[in-house]
Amino acid sequence: MKNHILIVDDEIEIRDLLSLFLTSSGYRVTAVETAIEALRLVHVDPPDLIISDLQLEDSDGLEMIAQLKAELPDTPVILLTGVLFDAQVFRDTLSKKVSAYLMKTSPLSRIREEIERLLGE
Amino acid sequence: MTVPSTSHPPARDPTIRRVLAFFALIAAVLITVVALAVRNINRAERSADWVNHTHAVILEIDAILATVHAGDGALRTFVMTGDARDQGAGRDAFSSMSEHLEIAKALTRDEAAQHAQVLRLETLANQRANLTQRVIAAWQIDHAEAVRTLTAADGSAATTAEIRRVVERLKADEMALLAERDTAAFLQAQTTRWTVWTGVALDFLLLSATAWLIRDDLQARRHATAVLAEANAQLEARVEARTSELSTANARLVSENLEQRWAHQAAEHQLRYQQNVFNALNDLVLVVTKAMNISRVNPAVVRLTGREPAALIDRPLADIVRLTGDTSVNFDAMAVALREGRELRAQPAVVTDALGQPITARLALFPVRDRDKVVGGIIVLEVLGSPPPQRDFARSPSLL
Repeated sequence: MKNHILIVDDEIEIRDLLSLFLTSSGYRVTAVETAIEALRLVHVDPPDLIISDLQLEDSDGLEMIAQLKAELPDTPVILLTGVLFDAQVFRDTLSKKVSAYLMKTSPLSRIREEIERLLGE
Repeated sequence: MTVPSTSHPPARDPTIRRVLAFFALIAAVLITVVALAVRNINRAERSADWVNHTHAVILEIDAILATVHAGDGALRTFVMTGDARDQGAGRDAFSSMSEHLEIAKALTRDEAAQHAQVLRLETLANQRANLTQRVIAAWQIDHAEAVRTLTAADGSAATTAEIRRVVERLKADEMALLAERDTAAFLQAQTTRWTVWTGVALDFLLLSATAWLIRDDLQARRHATAVLAEANAQLEARVEARTSELSTANARLVSENLEQRWAHQAAEHQLRYQQNVFNALNDLVLVVTKAMNISRVNPAVVRLTGREPAALIDRPLADIVRLTGDTSVNFDAMAVALREGRELRAQPAVVTDALGQPITARLALFPVRDRDKVVGGIIVLEVLGSPPPQRDFARSPSLL
């Protein structure tokens, strides 16, 4: 059974490229644009892992992640953003909310490694 | 374009040609044997006819001799008894003899020597018949005369003995012919047997050779099929390995392509993000080179000064910004600070707009370092007091 990954990002290029990459890596992928769509989907088809942007069109990514975690407390979440966070900041604040933080400049192979680590593959 | 054919018609196959040749040879031997056997059977049949014919001739001439004896006997009895029945018996015997003579003549018609002897026999028999007629005629006149005639005829001509000799000679000739034809028939039978057995042996050898040829060909074909199957398997393995290599290479290329596209979009995203941050500032921000030329401005600069970026980029900073304290043309405190890698903060400054009007502001200068080397600086200008009202810079003739 393939693991289901939910991608939340308001940029279509990122959604498309990441979906293509993860699908070719053997995952089942659902990509949505808004927090509302993401919250609706977790009820219908709960994902095994969530990749979310920080700045969404209709919401703050961290707020949405908090709502998703309320529904799926055990599902790992990767924050994939262009906003550069200091390592100390991540450890002190973000690490309580997300499982991992990756820059959007990270290579796809690095993203896959993090997914595999979080899914225990 | 013609496609070369990979299969040959059966007739071009050398093995099939050889097998067909062998079968043709076998058929030829069979036909020859059958023809020779039929010819020998016909000959044997003719020989049997000749044997029958010879036996018939012998029987006829024996019958002639027998009827001559019977006729003689009946004549003598008649002469002694004068009984009409004996006379009739003699007539019947000679009549029968004539019939046998006719048959013998017909049977020996195609054999000159035998026919001559039969004719001789006929002559002698006719003499006996004439004697009989003479004796009967004499008997009717005088019995004693008849006896003398009969005795004289027997004594002078000795016809009966001659007939017997001729018959014996004829029989001996016929028996010789019979022996000769028997020998010929035996030889023909032997020839037939030899022909048949030789033909059978030859056909058996040819069939054996054909079977060996077919077996040899089948073995060669099986070997060729095995070699072909092995070559095919090797080819398939190579194709599979090559396909796998190509598939791996393709997957790697797709992955690399995705990585490149991802890196490209990430760079664009970061650039756009930084641009947005830069543009979002309401203070005037100018990026300068180490030579104090403007390399970049934010939209606030354009809005406040009415100068388009094209009119600002690569122009000296001193054209639009100067520190209030800088009175000497030859001294630029900002350039000195930048060279020394120092920051300037809260410095009073004047910005000149497109209409030449001065705007007072507070200036800060931050050196930009790349690996501990100052490569430029950022000027941040905070307009003091109320911002000037919107002006129509487009109508200004002194727009830089």
